[in-house]
Amino acid sequence: MTDALLRIEDLRTVFRSSGGDIPAVDGVSLEVPQGRTLGIVGESGCGKSMLSLSVMRLVPQPGRVATGRVLLDGRDLLALPNSAIRDVRGRDVAMIFQEPMTSLNPVHSIGDQIMEAMRAHDGGASNAELRERAVEALRRVRIPAPERRFTEYPHQLSGGMRQRVMIAMALACAPRLLIADEPTTALDVTVQAQILDLLRDLQAETGMSIILITHDLGVVAEMADEVAVMYAGRVVERGTAREIFEDPQHPYTLGLLGSIPRLDEERETLLAIDGTVPPPFALPPGCRFAPRCPFMISPCNDVVPPLRVVADGHLAACIRAPIEAALAP
Amino acid sequence: MTPLLEVRDLAKHYPVRSGMIIARQTGTVRAVDGVSFHVDRGETLALVGESGCGKSTTARLALRLIEPSAGSIRFEGTDVTRIGGAPLRALRRRAQIVFQDPYASLNPRMSVGDTIAEPMIVHGVGNAAARRARVEELLALVGLAPFHAARFPHEFSGGQRQRIGIARALSLRPELIVCDEPVSALDVSIQAQVVNLLKELQRRFGLAYLFIAHDLAVVKHMADRVAVMYLGRIVEIAPKRSLFAAPRHPYTRALLAAIPHPDPSGRGRVTPLGGDVPSPMAIPPGCRFHTRCAFAEDRCRVEEPPLRLVGESQVACHLAEQLPMADTAAGAGFAPNAVRRLALYAAARPGGKRP
Repeated sequence: MTDALLRIEDLRTVFRSSGGDIPAVDGVSLEVPQGRTLGIVGESGCGKSMLSLSVMRLVPQPGRVATGRVLLDGRDLLALPNSAIRDVRGRDVAMIFQEPMTSLNPVHSIGDQIMEAMRAHDGGASNAELRERAVEALRRVRIPAPERRFTEYPHQLSGGMRQRVMIAMALACAPRLLIADEPTTALDVTVQAQILDLLRDLQAETGMSIILITHDLGVVAEMADEVAVMYAGRVVERGTAREIFEDPQHPYTLGLLGSIPRLDEERETLLAIDGTVPPPFALPPGCRFAPRCPFMISPCNDVVPPLRVVADGHLAACIRAPIEAALAP
Repeated sequence: MTPLLEVRDLAKHYPVRSGMIIARQTGTVRAVDGVSFHVDRGETLALVGESGCGKSTTARLALRLIEPSAGSIRFEGTDVTRIGGAPLRALRRRAQIVFQDPYASLNPRMSVGDTIAEPMIVHGVGNAAARRARVEELLALVGLAPFHAARFPHEFSGGQRQRIGIARALSLRPELIVCDEPVSALDVSIQAQVVNLLKELQRRFGLAYLFIAHDLAVVKHMADRVAVMYLGRIVEIAPKRSLFAAPRHPYTRALLAAIPHPDPSGRGRVTPLGGDVPSPMAIPPGCRFHTRCAFAEDRCRVEEPPLRLVGESQVACHLAEQLPMADTAAGAGFAPNAVRRLALYAAARPGGKRP
């Protein structure tokens, strides 16, 4: 694809330990198209947050990006000097997180916090000008009475309002890419629906690209154009949202789908995925999902299966996909 | 038949005082404001609503973990609203709780074995050897291994911690377990594991659950009956099947519509419910929901609707009969390929049946 805003190539993020480097992200390649949404889905501990921190060059010590390139409009963010990456953060790429209360400073008014974000990238503007723009930013995220909210503190707002403030702050400098890391996980379903609706509207207004990170395929279905399913540091399936939901191939994707409680179906037990994600220091030798996979056969334990094309614009890393063909007598 | 748990007109009001030296009461938070329901033996009643609707307070009131301002609580027909001392301790053996946050509800300095054994020590059940044996049995019941008893909470994932919390609640062989959002903090895949475990335990031990959740999708697989709460009151209570097939209250409909469907073709089809829940210090007059309700009329703004029977549901809405049928066919289902592979997946799981 040529119109990708962000292109991640063979990214590998490792953590140093006495026993050698431990991979948290292990050879991930992805593209985020201009003005579209890439959903990255997987359970806690699968490396999806570490991937987004790698893009922003915010990997905490003792972690580091070992190999790979992160190209924003063709410019490798990993090769930029520190001063240049600071300009990229906030201005070109902004980020929102799961728990808005811990991301906001409790002792500053929300207006001051938005103005701070603006000032960091636009030192020349006057206070009055910034104030006006901050109020406008609050209005854009549909916060009622933005002039009054401007002077309020985070504890005076509901969870949904706080997430709106975070979005306002993230969008203050009109970034071209917004990374939303579990933006609705801590919220009620009704508020989640409001926030997803808002993100869709803002994307239509501004033409920004979004990386949406979540453990919930339902949320992905609401938002994403492209989907990448991550497991234990690797992408195990990716494709257009349509392909992933209409033709899910990887057993892990099937497990995530089966875990969603459905309203339209009477089923006694949910199709849970048994077990948990292996920690990055104890990865199985072959396919990383093999120990939890109901379709596992012995060759699965030998080599890590590469992503291969299973349909147009659709890749899966499973030697048995499509499973019905593999199971046919 | 006498229900296992029955609460009537339960209320919890918190006075709000202001002033530094002479504090005067300047308002009242009506967290729970007249709630009645019952839970039968072996059944699951789900209590669903947004943050701040009073569902967790109701759960704690039902167990007498906090004292009600008004109303009564009966356990197997016996009034337990004012009991204390030995009778209250006896009640605690029969009614237990699993909390939402598996990180905050386990003591980080206590081994898992000690945590699970503690209720037995408090209630003087068995000797040390018998308790150890029971801990092993409980660990196996919730899908953990005997060696886990010696470990500490930080060594476990969120889902495993929730299993520990469930084992602790089971240790006294209770008849009722209050589950206060037991899966809300977990990944979807782990939620499914815990929901399946709770159902399995219910089958084996005939447990009754009062299951608190903010998401109707989660209770679909747990509940026999569902009560929807809004601002301290129940606005609809119905058998699960009728609540999902024919939701009567506009708020129930909004909660159902807000659930994201794993089907990209239905995207953005519903208008989300606007606004936030009003403050329980300033509950709107008339119907509490009228400020966010798309159907509200003049009458709704002045006259509070009582719960009344409509079809199989008890519903507190003046307009319940006049509302257009709810669109419950949302998310027409998985694509054929997905359905076929999910069936193969189900069959291949341990204990799965061939399609």
